[in-house]
Amino acid sequence: MRPLDWIVLCAALAGIVLYGIWKGRRSRDLDDYLVADRSMRWHHVALSIMATQASAITFLSTPGQGFADGMRFVQFYLGLPVAMVVLSVTAVPIYRRLKVYTAYEYLEGRFDLKTRTLAAFLFLLQRALSTGVSIYAPSVILSVIMGWDIRLVILLIGGMVTIYTAIGGARAVDNTNFQQFLIIMGGMLVAFLTLIWLLPPDVSFVKALRVAGKLGRLNAIDFTFKTDAHYHFWQPRFWTGFNEQYNFWSGLIGGCFLALSYFGTDQSQVQRYLTGESVTQSRLGLLFNGLVKVPMQFFILFIGAMVFAFYQFTQPPIFHNPVEVGKILSSPRAEEFRTLEARYGEAFAAKRDEARRLMGAIDAGADGERAQAEAALQAAQQRGETIRADAIKLMKENDPEANTSDTNYVFLNFVIHYMPAGVVGLVFAAVFFASMSSTASALNALASTTVIDVFRRLVNRGESDRYYFIFSKLATVFWGVFAITFAEYAGQLGSLIEAVNRLGSLFYGTMLGIFLLAFYFKRVRGTPVFIAAIAGEAVVFACFFFTQIAFLWYNVVGALVVIALALLLNPFFRDREMEKGKG
Amino acid sequence: MANDRQQSQEQLPQEEPPPFGGSWTTLYVLVLFNLALLVALFYLFTRTFA
Repeated sequence: MRPLDWIVLCAALAGIVLYGIWKGRRSRDLDDYLVADRSMRWHHVALSIMATQASAITFLSTPGQGFADGMRFVQFYLGLPVAMVVLSVTAVPIYRRLKVYTAYEYLEGRFDLKTRTLAAFLFLLQRALSTGVSIYAPSVILSVIMGWDIRLVILLIGGMVTIYTAIGGARAVDNTNFQQFLIIMGGMLVAFLTLIWLLPPDVSFVKALRVAGKLGRLNAIDFTFKTDAHYHFWQPRFWTGFNEQYNFWSGLIGGCFLALSYFGTDQSQVQRYLTGESVTQSRLGLLFNGLVKVPMQFFILFIGAMVFAFYQFTQPPIFHNPVEVGKILSSPRAEEFRTLEARYGEAFAAKRDEARRLMGAIDAGADGERAQAEAALQAAQQRGETIRADAIKLMKENDPEANTSDTNYVFLNFVIHYMPAGVVGLVFAAVFFASMSSTASALNALASTTVIDVFRRLVNRGESDRYYFIFSKLATVFWGVFAITFAEYAGQLGSLIEAVNRLGSLFYGTMLGIFLLAFYFKRVRGTPVFIAAIAGEAVVFACFFFTQIAFLWYNVVGALVVIALALLLNPFFRDREMEKGKG
Repeated sequence: MANDRQQSQEQLPQEEPPPFGGSWTTLYVLVLFNLALLVALFYLFTRTFA
């Protein structure tokens, strides 16, 4: 990074920490600390919700996915607007009416203490682990790309967030999230415009799009739901569409259930709209998210697709993770790797010629020539991919522990090599901010649940507001230190990290089932819900271990099992609970 | 006490109209219409460049 980049990055980081402390300085009681005195306007609520959801990985991995796999990941978000409407109609008025601090508080009034405690425990478990990962994951990428010490990056991100979140609580979190999100999107917009400007003079934006499209990178929507004709429709293997991570149907249905769970039952999001000034302000915040989230994700994926287009005319590295490339180049097999790099360079030159030929054919309007050029370009792309696959195989043979997925490194590697001074610092600040905003919301939510659902409810009741206010600050510091410590050791967990990343989908379906029963099935009692939740969780884990079902469907399965089983059990327990009530 | 709370959960607050758009139903339809429009545009985008 150049001096201007350092100035931009350091000023942004110092500025946001000071801003967070300043905004939260008047936090004096529990209401202010946990829900910002319920005083936020809708635009603060909206951007805070979006900043909470968008972690650093969103801004590193998503362009990488656009680069490697095209735009189809956007379908993952198609169910989100529907969920925003459902929550605006149902959850917001209920939470606001009861003036709860956490979503789980509502469950005790509706069901019983054990169901509330189960839901709070599931949240604390999955959110505590995933917060550590949300600090660790971008730290690895930043340390690999920049050669920084990973422990220092983790400490920097975790330390800065913990300071302003512990001091200012929800008010500091919502205000910093708002500013951070504006800077993140500003940084991505500047990166996108610079990317267009970096295209060769003879390659217009539309021509670049056509080349990327012909190579399968602009495939935003896929309505097909695949089936396997070797099986009958009543056999599970017939429905292979359920095994696909991203198609229109999994995105709309599975994505809707996931969004309902995440925004309706995860305290890190619920807390954001609980800070709204009124039902109206909270609702508008959610609906704004429903309007702009899908186009925002499209835009971030589109940046990745344009990086792909850029690399059709400028030679990309054969592998985008410089640390892994360094390892193979300092090994006895370096010469083999260099040979593959040289072949990759030749394949690239041939592909670039085919891309220009295709553009010429499009300009000339010659359909026959265009079809030929398209086929030749795709063949050239395939040749390059084959050589790259050989290089990855060589790296794996040289070091079986080598990380052979470089998707997450594509965007930052591009930024540091091609972006002008100042823009690099701005993009890096955006990555830091993305990590900080989601971590701050998580710490704030973990502290709220620890204090309200565990400490004040189960351990020490009847103390003063001031007592719980101070305990909330201590709980925030505790969770901050926990997240930093977990992140410091996360690298040693190996493939467990992947499991932790998917942890949310393992629990969200069950949580959603509990809350849907609470919202829509007024006759259902606590004990059947509790039993159904345990059984639902067992079914989701069985899906995870014994089936190929894509993880988005876990949310649907978990929620439906909990609802069905609770409805089935309810008549038996209803009689018993009524008898107990009479006794 | 528990009954009071249960009762209060059943009684949702009076609907305050949104500051724009006339009614909440209009805003909900707008969000869903926006989704349908985006899906249609993404489909056209995919067809145009694939």
